[in-house]
Amino acid sequence: MSRNEIIEQVNGLLSEEFEIEQSEFTPDSSLKETLQLDSINLVDLIALVQMTYQITIPVEELHKIQTFNDLYNYIEEHLPA
Amino acid sequence: MKYDVIVIGSGFGGLICARQLALSGLSVLVLERESQPGGCLQCYRRGNQTFDTGFHYVGGLAEGQKLHEVFDSLGLMHLPWHRLSADGFDQVTIAGEKFVYAEGFDRFADTLAGYFPEERDALRAYVQLLSDLPPLEQSGGISAYGYLCSKFRSPLLIDVLAATSMKMELRRESLPLFTFAHVNSSFIQSSWRLRGGGERIVRSLVEDIVGAGGEVVCMAEVGELMEHEGRIVAARCNNGEVYEADIFISDVHPALTLNWIHESTRIKPLLRRRVAALENTGGMFTASLVLKPDTLPYFNHNKYIFRKANVWDEPMPTLCEEGVDRVMVGCQVPQEGTFTQQVDLITPLPWEMCRIWQETSVGHRDEDYRQMKHNLAQACIRLAETELPGLGKMVEHIYTSTPLTWRDYTCSPNGSAFGIRKDCRQLLLTMFSPRTPVSNLLLTGQSLMVHGLEGVAMTALQTTREVLAMNL
Repeated sequence: MSRNEIIEQVNGLLSEEFEIEQSEFTPDSSLKETLQLDSINLVDLIALVQMTYQITIPVEELHKIQTFNDLYNYIEEHLPA
Repeated sequence: MKYDVIVIGSGFGGLICARQLALSGLSVLVLERESQPGGCLQCYRRGNQTFDTGFHYVGGLAEGQKLHEVFDSLGLMHLPWHRLSADGFDQVTIAGEKFVYAEGFDRFADTLAGYFPEERDALRAYVQLLSDLPPLEQSGGISAYGYLCSKFRSPLLIDVLAATSMKMELRRESLPLFTFAHVNSSFIQSSWRLRGGGERIVRSLVEDIVGAGGEVVCMAEVGELMEHEGRIVAARCNNGEVYEADIFISDVHPALTLNWIHESTRIKPLLRRRVAALENTGGMFTASLVLKPDTLPYFNHNKYIFRKANVWDEPMPTLCEEGVDRVMVGCQVPQEGTFTQQVDLITPLPWEMCRIWQETSVGHRDEDYRQMKHNLAQACIRLAETELPGLGKMVEHIYTSTPLTWRDYTCSPNGSAFGIRKDCRQLLLTMFSPRTPVSNLLLTGQSLMVHGLEGVAMTALQTTREVLAMNL
């Protein structure tokens, strides 16, 4: 899966699940602010990544994922071959 | 009438929340679908005997220990608790070799070092961990099995240390060290049976709730939680009654709880999907044996018997060629005299073995089911006889329960004994806070953090604090 495909798919999923227009998403904007994440739906986001890409995000790596770009990168790096 | 708080489900966690909130002056209603309160603490009666279902023993009740203070604050320390033997509150037999768990961290380590002298230092480090439990952030991501393998060289000792955790679910890859250490720490400090069974806990809590002006209504099965403008406003029961409250607490499995909210602006489909996708721990088969009078002297410990050194194997192959490969044996504290009248035999039973009866309900199952229960009970007795010779001949009656029974009486999916399976690889996904996206709906119960009386009590107190912080 190419990076562009990842971005397109992730944005589509996030927009649908969190009910936010894709036009709000920019690579450098904060996931937390854009998706209005609290402690509960932050876990929903992790679950979404896991269910869609079979990627487990360990608690200690969560802080690395702040922006949309961070999330695309994380998925790209950890996608099962 | 509109209540301050409605608690759905009258298991240990639900009753604790109801008691604490009623005592703090709130109007509280507990809704229970069964004909009696108690959830996993329910007892049943046959003849003049009382049988426990989910409760067997509890740890850490001695003065100065963690649960003592909690139980004292819940008004439960006046119950007739019976301390198990300090020399060996649990006895473990693996492939014919016997080991004892002695009470107290130092004695526990010293006793086991008697069998495994080369592991003395590692045992010291292990009990140090149990006496100074690491917080969730430090131990949550570590597997219990991985930890034990990193500390101990002897595979047999690793089996011995985990043998009594048959009362959790021994999965190498998923069981978090956090869960394992909390439960073992508590039992090693001191272990206790309750004379008269778990229903005494239920009765005490219900009396306190009613004494503080609260109500407990049985045969009231919730079918829907009605949401209006982002808040739950009422619980509609299947008997047609509708109850209103400011705050709702569910002591029922989180997946079932979400299903009650048919339309919601707060609960996103993603949350429903991820909760529904979570796996639950397996169920248990219990054979409660009523013994002929004066045949078996009371033994003041539990026995954990494993046919082979395969403690950490998946629960699937529980039924080996010889029958069951593991059994926990407990007995009832006698009301008087030195003989016990009742022995419980417990072994994990995979849902796969119950699946063909999943559409049936209690009292409406066929001869094949009765035959399976009979065979399992006999297999448990045969394994128990390796430590209690002649047990089979002492039996007057056998009453059994399976994960199907458990499912029907406690609403636990597939008769799961401990609810949602905690997974150290995905702790965030498998542990739950009492808060939900609906601000006035809270959760409690064994599926959230840690199971067992201690885990459920601590979670219920956290749920209670969340409610009190809302400043009704």
